[in-house]
Amino acid sequence: MKKILQITLGIITSVGGFLEIGSVTTAAQAGALFGFQLLWAIALGTICLIFLVEMSGRLAAVSKHTIVDAMRERFGFPFFFFVLIGMVLVAFLVLIAELGGIGFALQILSGLGFPLWALPVSLVVWLMMWKGTFSLIENGASLLGLVTISFAVAAWKLNPDWSSVGASLLPTLPEQDKVKYGYLAVSILGASISPYLMYFYSSGAIEDEWDRSYIAMNRVIAGFGMTLGGVLSICVLIVAAIALRPKGVQVDTFPQAALLMTTALPRWGFYLFAFSMLFACFGAALEISLAIAYFFAQGFNWNWSENLEPSKNARFAFVYTIIILVSAVPLMLHVDPIRVTMLAMALTSATLPLAIVPFLFLMNDPIYLGKYRNGWITNSVVGIVVLISFVLAIISIPLQIFGG
Amino acid sequence: MDLVRDVLDKKLVDREQCDMGRASGLIMQFGEKTQPHITHILIGGPTLWMRIHPALGRASEKLARLWGPKSKEPVRIPWSHVETVGKDIKLDVVAKDTGALDWEIWIARHFIERIPGGGHEEEE
Amino acid sequence: MDLNVELLVGTTVYDANGEKVGRIEEFRVEQDGKSCRIESYLIGASALVERMSAWTLVRPIARGLRSRHVLSIYEVPWQDMDLSDPKRPRLKIAKSDLRHAR
Repeated sequence: MKKILQITLGIITSVGGFLEIGSVTTAAQAGALFGFQLLWAIALGTICLIFLVEMSGRLAAVSKHTIVDAMRERFGFPFFFFVLIGMVLVAFLVLIAELGGIGFALQILSGLGFPLWALPVSLVVWLMMWKGTFSLIENGASLLGLVTISFAVAAWKLNPDWSSVGASLLPTLPEQDKVKYGYLAVSILGASISPYLMYFYSSGAIEDEWDRSYIAMNRVIAGFGMTLGGVLSICVLIVAAIALRPKGVQVDTFPQAALLMTTALPRWGFYLFAFSMLFACFGAALEISLAIAYFFAQGFNWNWSENLEPSKNARFAFVYTIIILVSAVPLMLHVDPIRVTMLAMALTSATLPLAIVPFLFLMNDPIYLGKYRNGWITNSVVGIVVLISFVLAIISIPLQIFGG
Repeated sequence: MDLVRDVLDKKLVDREQCDMGRASGLIMQFGEKTQPHITHILIGGPTLWMRIHPALGRASEKLARLWGPKSKEPVRIPWSHVETVGKDIKLDVVAKDTGALDWEIWIARHFIERIPGGGHEEEE
Repeated sequence: MDLNVELLVGTTVYDANGEKVGRIEEFRVEQDGKSCRIESYLIGASALVERMSAWTLVRPIARGLRSRHVLSIYEVPWQDMDLSDPKRPRLKIAKSDLRHAR
């Protein structure tokens, strides 16, 4: 009975925590520019994410190591440090984007510009980390994030041509704007396959003291939770395709994104969008801050646990305090969160091999996983998707920078 | 047992199950005809940065002199204190006495405890 | 003489004739009570791969490439290693006299 409750909670928190500024912005831009054509990218990214999340949970449950623990021990400090720099830099950019998302949501609700909200927002995020426990953060923020289900409601109300939707799950090339298409595909993949999610998930499994009996439950949560989350992303794309594309709205700025839901839900759409972004980005900001602090703390073996009071894990608390406060600075200086988001998503794709390749090596290591090592299907799916993301990123990012 | 696979970069845990960092380095003593043996485990600081590049190691030493806890040398634990080597390395010491937690205590006292709600490090 | 083991990892080793053998990737030790003695050194390109326990991923690739170099690991007993210059470890014997570890 307890396991069923845990599974349900796990799935709910996966769904509530899935959308954030990256997935919403990239899906909305994709829908507004290319209709349903980029649905395959969301589907592909989500499938890869399911495997990665399942792997993260399995590693923690069987070896009682987080990904970062295992990476430092297996590959040594110099390699670990190299990955740390790459991952933390990209995650930091994503954190700035999420705080920007919260600021934007407050901007459209209050009329006050997001730079004014930057510092208060980061202080609230910090306070949650300072005073909150792991379950409060993981569950509380994700439950609030369930308001993002309104995207699914909007998509359903807009009555899309479901056979077109289904057909778009297979990749096709557009007639024009191939560079932008490639760049958006890369960004969608980067938004779906966020490494910080893996690090957060494996740390959570250790905080929740998972063991081998959780392996089956882990598969169910990863499978259903991420699938439903991916469906939500697809709904954002569908809504943008139907509501924004005919009007030629391109979603380059946040106020344009705010129009997403008003076609389907004229009365509540605006507020549902604002609150969806507010809670989704808030949850993501907490997860990313934790993931970065975990990376340092686990890599160097400091005390780390969200359930301890800050002075008992001083270095861990110090790291997240600094990151959260510093990430407010670009926003206070009027840096555009949408730009940061698109850059962060593309860079995530480009640096995926750095996160995933060592992880794949670990998942095939009998010392950590024994008989629970990866099968050839898991290795192939993850390997191929990461290769695709990387190659696409290498091609399209320079083209976008020099062409756009 | 293999040093790189089983000892280096492994977590170190004290008598009271307290985390005290990782084995960043190992000192090996050898002679012309004598069999080499491991004398100490090194924790943290310049040892780590030396592994990336000697210049970083020297920079880390300089920074440590200007800022942070006043310990000058990297933390060295004699190998004789090693109890078991498994998933982690269990040491027959108390973490606070070794200097392994100096940075943790320093950051707690100078930053964390000065912020409301930070709490207090346990008094000895 | 004292040296740091972690700084020896990855250092290239030459044999008694000056021929390159490979890189030091692992140290086999024997724990005896409270002491830890070095028994042998593992040298070679694929000592690294073995350390990373990545055989399941690398073996199919190596077989495809027919790479004999990747598959060679030497185990050098402590008596045959000269560490008087830690930056240039030397064997006291020739490469041809080395034993393969696998």
